[in-house]
Order: sequence, then structure tokens, then C-alpha cells
Amino acid sequence: MELSQVSVGFAGAVALRKASVSIAPGARLGIVGESGCGKSMLGLCLMGMVPDAGQVTGSIRLNGQELVRAPERVWRRHRARDVAMIFQEPMAALNPLKRVGDTVMEPLMIHEGLSRSTARARALALFEEVGLPDPAARLRQYPHEISGGQRQRVLIALALACNPGLLVADEPTTALDANVALRIIDLLVRLSESRNMALVFISHDLAAVSRATDQMLVMYGGDIVERGPTAQVLAEPRHPYTQGLLGARPGLENRGRTPDGRRKRLVTIPGTVPPLHDLPQGCRFSGRCGQEFAPCARQRPQPTALGQGQEAACHLLSPLHAGHGTCRGAA
Amino acid sequence: MALEDPARMAYFLIRRTIGFVLTLLTVSVVVFAVMNVLPGDPALTILGIDASEQALENLRRQLGLNDPVHIRYLNWIGGALQGDFGTSHSFRVPVSELIVERLPMTVSLAISGMVVTIILALVLGVAAAANHGKPGDWGVMFLAQIGIAVPSFWLSILLILLFAVSLQWLPPGGFPGWSDPLGAIRSLILPTAALALVQGAVLARVTRSSALEVMRLDYVRTARASGFSRQRVLWRHVLPNALVPIVTIVGLQFASLVTGTIVIENVFSLPGLGRLIFQSISNRDLPTVQALVMLFAAIVVTVNFIVDVIYVFIDPRLKART
Repeated sequence: MELSQVSVGFAGAVALRKASVSIAPGARLGIVGESGCGKSMLGLCLMGMVPDAGQVTGSIRLNGQELVRAPERVWRRHRARDVAMIFQEPMAALNPLKRVGDTVMEPLMIHEGLSRSTARARALALFEEVGLPDPAARLRQYPHEISGGQRQRVLIALALACNPGLLVADEPTTALDANVALRIIDLLVRLSESRNMALVFISHDLAAVSRATDQMLVMYGGDIVERGPTAQVLAEPRHPYTQGLLGARPGLENRGRTPDGRRKRLVTIPGTVPPLHDLPQGCRFSGRCGQEFAPCARQRPQPTALGQGQEAACHLLSPLHAGHGTCRGAA
Repeated sequence: MALEDPARMAYFLIRRTIGFVLTLLTVSVVVFAVMNVLPGDPALTILGIDASEQALENLRRQLGLNDPVHIRYLNWIGGALQGDFGTSHSFRVPVSELIVERLPMTVSLAISGMVVTIILALVLGVAAAANHGKPGDWGVMFLAQIGIAVPSFWLSILLILLFAVSLQWLPPGGFPGWSDPLGAIRSLILPTAALALVQGAVLARVTRSSALEVMRLDYVRTARASGFSRQRVLWRHVLPNALVPIVTIVGLQFASLVTGTIVIENVFSLPGLGRLIFQSISNRDLPTVQALVMLFAAIVVTVNFIVDVIYVFIDPRLKART
């Protein structure tokens, strides 16, 4: 799947600006950012499920086929079969009136024309594949009768039912307990490897993205501000926003006391993400950055290649402004 | 797994059945009390104002009107349980006979009215929700508003003028009975329309707002993400989940539909229970009125009992709570 220069605009606001993303078969891509930064919108673009009020421009190609202005019925043929998606709230994402087995059997019967009994056998195999305990008994249960982690496994089984080449997981672990979340992440990675299925993993949890993906994008205010190999970006974040996200993460390294005996504190990013209709001109992050200089308020920074596939859009890194200041962490 | 648990299901049904019986008992006391505090002497009504005091007294004794009130109640309810509602003062035949004779008419009308109401409301309500904010939605809501505002007797008269008098497609009233099925259906069309257009307008609005509520939910997005067609998402995922409030309103509407037959049967001169109750009230025919009010109340209570049971079959989550 190939997105180039994709923008999504709503009346007076830009939710996603000129995003170019290429997803190869079997690749695992993480998308991180705070709420409202456009990461879910990017996920919806991959499914053709941007709300009706949104204007999508640019190019979205699936296996070479242009889909950016494709009508709903064209997209529908690709959903579940080529691209599938799982969502944040596993409880709310399952139809409460259907047994979970029937939920998973439905696309098999509709899209692949399987009989009930064949579909049930396939659903059983899928439940085994996603590691649901006692899968035969699970088939007959309702969503309210199983746990959150199990519901997410059911949703993964549903998404896998028609063997999609790409699975978009929008905050799949946010609503789950930490240890359940870890097991779901490992399951997604294992499935991506065994099925050679591409995975787009959308999350604000850097640890989850680190565990799940090879490549990552950092988004802010509808822009992709930094991208590169996940390990590289997390080890050497170059954009001030990425640095801020990493600094704001409660982890072992910011426990305890500093050498001068003061208690270490979490470094948080000041302020909140501005609403989409009220983003600053110039760099979207100006106002919260703390390292601003002359061009930040006026000019949009362009991505700068930083080697090893990493790039970031920040004036501090741009050769045009070389020598002006230094980024923390760049040294 | 509650449905698979017969003990739990049985417990639920027994509890609801006890409630159902108690409700009917209460209704019978209220109906009897109301009928008996009404002014007017049935004996005087039957014999006319010229009757001698002696004749009136004899008739009162014969009708049991001089017994204490609780004895009269027990006599009445005891008879009613055996299908004996006494003798109609005005028709001079057993009330049960009058009811049996007219029941098929009213049942046919109520059922056809309810079925058409439900079909109309679900189709229009879901269509409006699917086209939320577009002309189709406005159109349905505009028509529904008119349907709610128009009284059914006036709508009946308009329908008769148009389809029976001007176009002469359908009979203006009367009912030939089910021995003539085609004639029976033709006679039912206009009264059914008069009932269903008004009731359907209310239900269509409920259906629309309930469906809109459900359409915002995550599992509808999941269904779309599974590549299902719009129609499939609407009818298989949205509608079943929107049903609980719809079924509640259907239960309530059934009551107004049954009472609505009183008006409709009179306008279309259909020989049903609604017309009978109207005639009995005009004639101060106490036993008949009492039996019919009790019967109408029993129908409404029964329908609500059925609705309670239906909920549990619609929503498996309620089973867990029963």
C-alpha cells in the first residue's frame, strides 16, 4: 500500500497534511503521537473510512490501484480482504447481540461464500491461531461473557478472517491491562511474521511501538514530523517533539534522584495539542517547542534526511539554518 | 450462557407471570370499582322511567344490585374466569356471545394495523437514519410530523372521501366477514391505513433516533471495516441493536392502537369490539362495558408481558441480569 501526499481536510481544518507512507508486504510500521495529531485519520485513510465530511486529496494506491476518490463500493471490496482494521475499545467494537463465533463467521460466509459449517471450522482455526483458550466454547459466547483481552483476540481473528495483506491496529492495547497488552502485541508481531502480513500499529505508547514495529512515524498536528527505523528513532530522536515524547515517558531511567540529590521529575511537553482549526502558522510545534528561533513561526519545516533512513522536519536540523542552534540529543 | 440455563429462564418467566396475574387482578378491581361508583341505576335504564318502584326493586334483586359490593365483585370475577360476563342489558344476550361474535373483527384490525405500523416505521425510520441530514431524512421526518399531528378520525374521513367516494376503489365501511377473504381484506385496507399512518409516524421517529444512536457505536464501524454492504450493516447490525426502545414503544402503542379501534370502527362502521363498547356506553349497558374494559386492559397487559419476554430474547445481556 502506497500513500503519497495524502491530505484530509474538514471544513476549515486540516486533519492530515501531505502524508506519504509506503507499506511493503510484511512490513511493520508504528505511528505515534498525542491524541488529535492525525494518526487515527491516517489509519482511516488506509481503510477508505474517512468520515463523509472529510476531503481526501493526494494518492492512495493499493497494489497499484488508485483508490483516493474511489466510491464506497470499491473500497468495500478491499476491506477485510486486503486491508483489515482493529480498534481501541474491544468491548464496544463487538456487536453485543451476536455470539463472537457468528461475528467471525459473518465475513467468511459473505465474502468467501462459505457454508455455515465450513465457516465455523475456519473460525475455530482462527480462534486457535489468535490464542483464545478453549476456542470451541468461545465460539458460542457473547462479547459480555469474555474478558477484554479475549475480545481483542476475537477482533484480531475477525480481522484475519479473509487473509488481509495489511492489518491496521488503531490503539489496540490502550484499553487493556499492561500484561495483556504485551501478549496482544506479541501476537500481532507473530501473526505478521507467520502470514507475511503488513502491520500498521497506531499508538501513543512508545514501548508498545518499540516492541511491535520496525519502522515508525511520529505525527504532530496532522504532520509527519519524524520517521525512521523504530530502534534508531527511539535511541536518537532528532525532532524536539519526539524528544519530548520520550522524555515524558515514565520509565526506570527517570526514577530516583539526580546526582545533585534532587528527585528526578518527568519532563513533560508544555501545553496541549492545539485544535486542528487553530494550529500555528509555520512549524505546528512552535509554541510548545522551547527551542524556537526565527523561522519557526513563519515557515513550515521540510523533512531533512539524517542518515540510516531517519528523517525529521525541524528547522534546527535543516541545512538552511545550519549552525543556528543544536538539537538536544543530536550531539 | 443464561439462555442455556433453564432454571434461570424458568425463574424469570415465573416471576413475570406472577406480576402479570397480579396486574390483571388489580385492573379488575379498578374496573369494577369505577363502573360501580358511576351514577345511574341500571334497573331504571333497563325498564325506563315509567317503571313502577316494585318492578325496579324486583329487577335490582334479580340483577344482584342489592348485594354488598364485595359479593358483587366476587360474583363478577368468578363468572368472568369461567367466561360468563353476565347478560347484556341492551342486547339481551350473554356478553360473552357479543364478544366472541365481534372479536375477530377487532383482532384482524389491530393485527393488520400493528403489522403495517411496524413495517412502515422500520423501513422509513432506518432509511431516514441512513440518510441523516439529507433530503430523504427531512422528507420522512416532515411526513412523520404530519402523521403525528393529524387525528385518526379526520384522516379516516379523508381516506373515505378519496378512495371510497371519489375513486371508488375501496368500500367506505362495513365488514363482510372472513368467509369472503378478498372482501374482508378490501374492507380492512382503509381502516388499517388510518391506524398505521398515525401510529407509524410516531414509531418511525423512535426508530430513526434509536438507529442514529446505534450508528455512532464502534461495532457498526467494525461491521463497515469488515467490508459489509450498507444494507447489511443497517439491517443486520444497526437495527437489531436499535430494537429495544422500538419494542418498548410498540408495546405502548399497542394500547393506543386498541383504543384507536374504538374511533376507527365507528367511522368505518365495522362490527367490532370498539363499536360495541361505544354502543354499550351510550346504552348504559354496565355488564358489557365492564367486560370490554376488562378485556381491553387484559390485552394491553398481555402485550406488555410479551414485550418484557421479547427483550430478553433480543438482548443476551439482559438474560444475564434476569
